[in-house]
Amino acid sequence: MISSSKWIGPAVLAGMCLLPLPLGIYPQHVLIVSLFYVMMAASWNLLAGYTGQVSFGHAAMAGIGAYTSGILAAKAGVNPWVGVAAGTLLAALLGLGLGALCLKMGGIYLSLTTLAFSQILHIIIVNEYEVTRGTMGLQVPGLTAEYSKLTYYYILLAATVLVLFILYRMIHSNLGLSFRAVQNDETAARAVGVRVLHLRVLAFTVASAMAGFAGGLYGHYLLLITPEIPSLDLQFYVLAMTVIGGMGSFVGPIVGAFAINILAEKIRDYGEYHVLVFGLIALVVARFAPEGLTGVWRSLGRRRTP
Amino acid sequence: MNRKRTGIAIGLVLALAFCGAAAAQDTVKIGVVGPRTGPAAATGAAFDEGIKLAVDYVNGKGGVLGKKLEVAFEDTAGAPDKAASGFERLVTRDKVVMVLGESHSSSALAQIEVANRLKVPFVVVEAWADEITAKNYRYVFRAGPSNSGVVNQTIAQWVKAETFKRAYVIAENTDWGIGIGKLTENALAKAGIPYESMITERNSQDHYVELTKIKAFKPDVVLAYIYGVGLHYFVAQAGETGVSPKAVVLDGAGPPSLWPDYWKNVGDYGDLECFVSSMHEKVELTPLAKYFREAYTKKFGKAPTDYKSRSIFDGILIAADAINRAKATDAEKLVEALEKTNLETTRGTAKFGLTKGGPEYHQWMPPMLVIQWQNKQQVVLYPTQAATGKLKR
Repeated sequence: MISSSKWIGPAVLAGMCLLPLPLGIYPQHVLIVSLFYVMMAASWNLLAGYTGQVSFGHAAMAGIGAYTSGILAAKAGVNPWVGVAAGTLLAALLGLGLGALCLKMGGIYLSLTTLAFSQILHIIIVNEYEVTRGTMGLQVPGLTAEYSKLTYYYILLAATVLVLFILYRMIHSNLGLSFRAVQNDETAARAVGVRVLHLRVLAFTVASAMAGFAGGLYGHYLLLITPEIPSLDLQFYVLAMTVIGGMGSFVGPIVGAFAINILAEKIRDYGEYHVLVFGLIALVVARFAPEGLTGVWRSLGRRRTP
Repeated sequence: MNRKRTGIAIGLVLALAFCGAAAAQDTVKIGVVGPRTGPAAATGAAFDEGIKLAVDYVNGKGGVLGKKLEVAFEDTAGAPDKAASGFERLVTRDKVVMVLGESHSSSALAQIEVANRLKVPFVVVEAWADEITAKNYRYVFRAGPSNSGVVNQTIAQWVKAETFKRAYVIAENTDWGIGIGKLTENALAKAGIPYESMITERNSQDHYVELTKIKAFKPDVVLAYIYGVGLHYFVAQAGETGVSPKAVVLDGAGPPSLWPDYWKNVGDYGDLECFVSSMHEKVELTPLAKYFREAYTKKFGKAPTDYKSRSIFDGILIAADAINRAKATDAEKLVEALEKTNLETTRGTAKFGLTKGGPEYHQWMPPMLVIQWQNKQQVVLYPTQAATGKLKR
């Protein structure tokens, strides 16, 4: 059991390294976008799945990362890699500030505050078009001199592995146990000495930094940053991926991100109706498989094993 | 074991996603990009109609390279990010040999970067920003109006011809709006006509504050560069606030004044509004224009109104002609063939400019008209030699 779990990670990673080689440009593009969503869904899962904080500002943090890096690169000629680092840092600082400001509230108030933050940021980006180019989109340079899907794939893959590694180590440490304790019973956790507020702010800051990092890389991959990144559409997309994949499990958001993004590409010919389809799938999963696709998979495994 | 199963599941999902039958090779496929959803979804509907007529026309004449012409239409929703990814999808997934269309400048500006990177010929038909051709990209052409062409050849000339005394320019916050607004200001300044201007939010439904400012300036013409249903709100609210009919409102894009829900949205305030267009039933520039009108009426049981259905029709004819002359679908040969285009379309003879250094490169500017709604009838005001009536206030 232990030996099989030891090789599964490296095997999947090796498979992911080889996967794009025989594929054309279009499937490579789908995989790159999926990796962005893996980072987004996995980091949002740290908030909602492990510490019970339902934030609607996660896409906004990706927008902070994307616009910070994009504006620095397009307007000031800053190296995009430095820009991504600056975007990550700013998202972390905003996460820390927003967390310190509103995490005492918790519950619905946190959701409302992050929703308001997201909308305010969206309005600023759309209206300050002289800086951000609003809905026209800000064209930004790429991360490499030569544009290659394969190069971007490996950059996003390395970034995703880094994000997942940090999350894995956090979740499978004493910190992770404390996260679970806070989520299960905040009062009991506080009674045994867990510093609830500190933990929540820490999770919020780390998740925001990860979203900023993912957004920065994604913007430089697209070469065009628009208010679609810090939008509620993207936020709900990430939410659907996490819920459908399996909230509160490490693998769930990864499966959800790939499954939903690939499904979206398949059904995109139906236009706006694909949002409706996602909504319905999310509802069905929430009702009949609250642990998501990975939960269904686990329960199937349990049934087969006597 | 759970992890193992999950790994296998991921593998299965990916394998399922990317296995697909090879596309049939008995057709030549071209792509069309345009908004089928969003505030200018009516343009997508107009494109759809034009595509159907053009495909029938081209295939009725033997198709291209001895094969049937096929069109893949990708929705851009008027959003630059969707436009760029849609363009890339057409080329990499659908394997189109050329892409046409677009009616949003911001979307087109995102798409020309993809066209240039992927080295795929792109013929823009209805995105007007000068920068689209001013960048002088080898693979980018425009068989349609440009901002400078529309302003300098039509709108500014009409404003002078009608001897308007004070003008107000209101433009949406897009590449098209900001660009055409600035060009209009320059033309008005050059003509010595006092003016004021402002930028408005593209999707705004409330223009009352802006109209109060406009009213205070007392213009006799308002040049409105707002594309989409936002134009309907502006026209209706201009009527409510009394800005019009004191001042004549010109829709500087055109199609929104011709969309099916125009009269429903603006009511009587829509009468006496002016708009630019490249199509009018009494101004048929070529025999093909007559063919288009008859074929359209026969196929759809109504007369054509939105001129963008005819723009995409022309674009597809230009593409088919270039493919046939190139005798190949190779991008370099297609570019060479497009540069030698000399084809009669519904809007005159298409011929692309070859002088580098400005927006004239790879640009063909069809003639435009200024038309006024008079008792729900379209009356051509400009150019004066094509006029079917006079301006009413």
